[in-house]
Amino acid sequence: MNSAQLIAIAPQLILSFGIVLSLLLIAWQRSKWLIQGFTFFIFVLALIATLDLYPIDNIQVTVLLLVDSYSLVALVLILISALTITVFSGFYLAKYTEVHDEFYLLLQLVILGAAILVISDHFASVFLGFELLSMALVGMVGYFRESDHGLESAFKYLILSATASSFMLLGIAFIYGTTGSLSFAMASNANHLIDHLYLAGIILFLLGLCFKLSLVPFHYWTPDVYQGAPTPVTMLLATVSKVAIFTVLIKYWFSQVNYGDESLTEIISLIAILSMLVGNVMALRQNNIKRLLGYSSIAHMGYLLIILLITSTQNITFAWQAALFYLAAYLLASLLIFMVLIVSHRKNNSDQIEIVHWRGMFWHQPWLAMAVIISLLSFAGIPLTMGFIGKFYLLVQATQQQLWLLIATLITGSGIALYYYLRIIFVLFAQHQEQSIAPQHGDIDNIFQPVIARVTIAIFSGAIIVIGIFPDVYAYFLSA
Amino acid sequence: MIIIFIIIALLLAGAIAWFFDNEKNNFARWFSLISLASLLLFFIYDTLFVAQTFTTFTPLVRFAWIKTFNIEFALALDNLSIILVILTLFLALICVLVSWHEIKTKIGFYYFNLLAAIAGIIGVFTAIDMFLFFFFWEIMLLPMTAIIAIWGHEQRHFAAIKFFIFTQISSLIMLIAIIAMAYLYQQQFGQLSFYYHDWQKLTLDSSMSFYLMLGFFIAFAVKLPSVPFHSWLPDAHTQAPTAGSVLLAGVLLKTGAYGLIRFVILLFPQASQEFAPVAITLGVVSVLYGAKMAFAQQDFKRLVAYSSISHMGFVMLALFAFNAVAYQGAVLTMVAHGLSSAAMFSMAGMIYSRIHTRSLAQMGGFWQSAPRMGGFALAFAAAAFGLPGLANFVGEFLSLAGSFSAHPIAVMFAALGLIGSAIYGMYLFQNSFQGPIKHTIADFSKRETLVAASLLFLLVFIGLFPNTVLQKIRIEQKISVQKASEQKISQQFVVQNINKLVMATPATIGRKDNE
Repeated sequence: MNSAQLIAIAPQLILSFGIVLSLLLIAWQRSKWLIQGFTFFIFVLALIATLDLYPIDNIQVTVLLLVDSYSLVALVLILISALTITVFSGFYLAKYTEVHDEFYLLLQLVILGAAILVISDHFASVFLGFELLSMALVGMVGYFRESDHGLESAFKYLILSATASSFMLLGIAFIYGTTGSLSFAMASNANHLIDHLYLAGIILFLLGLCFKLSLVPFHYWTPDVYQGAPTPVTMLLATVSKVAIFTVLIKYWFSQVNYGDESLTEIISLIAILSMLVGNVMALRQNNIKRLLGYSSIAHMGYLLIILLITSTQNITFAWQAALFYLAAYLLASLLIFMVLIVSHRKNNSDQIEIVHWRGMFWHQPWLAMAVIISLLSFAGIPLTMGFIGKFYLLVQATQQQLWLLIATLITGSGIALYYYLRIIFVLFAQHQEQSIAPQHGDIDNIFQPVIARVTIAIFSGAIIVIGIFPDVYAYFLSA
Repeated sequence: MIIIFIIIALLLAGAIAWFFDNEKNNFARWFSLISLASLLLFFIYDTLFVAQTFTTFTPLVRFAWIKTFNIEFALALDNLSIILVILTLFLALICVLVSWHEIKTKIGFYYFNLLAAIAGIIGVFTAIDMFLFFFFWEIMLLPMTAIIAIWGHEQRHFAAIKFFIFTQISSLIMLIAIIAMAYLYQQQFGQLSFYYHDWQKLTLDSSMSFYLMLGFFIAFAVKLPSVPFHSWLPDAHTQAPTAGSVLLAGVLLKTGAYGLIRFVILLFPQASQEFAPVAITLGVVSVLYGAKMAFAQQDFKRLVAYSSISHMGFVMLALFAFNAVAYQGAVLTMVAHGLSSAAMFSMAGMIYSRIHTRSLAQMGGFWQSAPRMGGFALAFAAAAFGLPGLANFVGEFLSLAGSFSAHPIAVMFAALGLIGSAIYGMYLFQNSFQGPIKHTIADFSKRETLVAASLLFLLVFIGLFPNTVLQKIRIEQKISVQKASEQKISQQFVVQNINKLVMATPATIGRKDNE
């Protein structure tokens, strides 16, 4: 391993080293702000290292890892989420008197797992990153044992996640059995596609990833876990975990010649269509905002699967750009709405925010409500927001590949989705006098909003609008 | 630059009205009124009294916007756009005036939404890059939905969601067609392009162009609206505040008709001709269905809403007749309907502000206490059912006369709609202003007289001197004929037919000068 390779994986090294140092730090002194600050510092360092690397020619680091520009962009997205989650975890944990060092440690582990995933080029490293991410997440989901749904969600997530992992492992074993290699590129051989064992292996491997992306029919855990997990953890599940797993999925998919295979394409289309429909339809009747976002994330992952359905190698560049743009739009909007959820739950001290609790927010908390509106419009793909450009990328890709059925489903899905997004927006605008019919704990008049929270929310809202109007600001990085 | 200036000025004025509203309560509406009036005058001065003529769709500004997809920020004007922009700005003034006392809560934010919607609509009428067009098309929906959802009547949330979902789904279908066109351009010329004049160079095979045309058609038919995509309209109109209804009926429906002219007929001449029988049938069905449903309504605003469907059916019929006279009739109907429906909805709002109901059963005998109001109401009802001397008559007459040669049977059925409109027009007037006295109401205030009189003046003026509008739109049709012959349409006889009719036009409408 030469120095260029070491530098290429510097962000991952910084993260790993940071975890060890954090452990030492805890042994030395336990302090709320110290561990939070240190975690933040580590992420900033990793982010600087990643930005410094960009743009990069493909660098193979041992057989396990392959660093390219796309994974760096994905890593930047992950680290941006990590930074925001660190800051907002502080606000979330502020109500507890104990010191929660473990929380930040687990967070660092999740980020390390995600960082390994996005640069992995080998089934072994995928599995390593995947398990690192899952195990730490299980700990985080059930972090507050005393909370209403904490234990239930953690167990649900643990058992289903472990099942998915074992299926994935079986799939990897099948692939190894037929090809004799665990590397993405090496295992890619069109001749194997006629082998049923190989096909079964690929499907089982995809199944594991689909579980993490909460695609139908592997989505059952999503609403419960989203609702039951502490809000910063839900934020993590919705952003970091999705971006990392999807990046590795594309990376695997495009390094193979699988994308020409008809039966696999059909399975992917079917999963995509089901996810778009089920996710959106199920979200219609939700009153709990986190639960609703859980279902809507299912639909969004369904939209994203369109990226995988390409027919020739020439489309790979554009597909990557489309995927990274959509993921970024989804990520920013998710982060934004979860930030608002975290600051607006401080008053009533409960994780469970229902739509009615936000009634009339526009009139007494206009800036906070604007953030919610921007994020929801971005989810819904309405112009002026980044989500629209993301959807535009997807539609361009789908039109070029002539996936009319998927386009039709996407349009239907978006139509259904508008209903529940608009419902929330209208509640924000509901007149003040109607507030008397809201539950008494719906009062969010005097939320404590630290300056940092306000500034972060404003930056993210601004970013969604600015990139929505001038997408080149971000698209430039994707095409470089 | 003038369009950019107007759009930015509208948004700025809206923002100023919003932010400074709290200090002085009348500030927002006076400020909106004055800025709209000055913008209207400025626009009229700048487009009608300059040497430049806008016979073709002339780009005014054009610069790169999103380089990744080769999308440009390009705005253009031609006479059709100018007419519609003037109509929009004028009705915006009416909107401010009719919501003067009606809007009592969140006044500043209301005027921000109103002005933002106007800005979006002007963008729609002037965008020449298709992505930009779509952008504005969506942008105008957001403030419009907000107006319905926040200041509307009792069922406002349902109506707003329905309105938004209908238009959103249909516009996504249009977006697919736009992307497909850009992609076809890339296949033929090597790079993506969303520029309108670039698209005119495309050669499309017939089945492809048919589906693309259909994508655009659906979006515009929803906005127009045409049966079977009309069901959002009665709800949205009924639940919206008065200004919202005025804006919806007066201008927003016209964006659908504008889209049909600019993008369906001019970009896909051949495919639209193949599709014409279906479109004409839809138009005729809309005319009759709208009239029938209007007659059955008990709600003042709902009645006017259904009558809009009926009137816009004439536009659809006339546009797909591919005939110069019918085309002029269609544009004139658009303008006339914009004015007359705005007048009817303002009337509904004024009655509502007095007796707090829209139900016709609760109305009656208003003439006794408010004769001035009654006189105006009678005039507007007469305009709606096409009394000669008022603008609607000229529009509908030209539409029917022009379409007759090509589609005599359809026109015969559509003409029945005129009888229908007379029935529901009189039904409306008699129910509210005649009969036993159910309420004693105050007559028009000065502000209300100003609104009604200015609308009536324009209706009469255009009714008596239709050439002021017609001479603007005649030229546009020639361009389309030129373009059609450039594209070597197989149906030569249609082109000849149109040419013949273009020659014949001056005689038909009594014009002497040539251009």
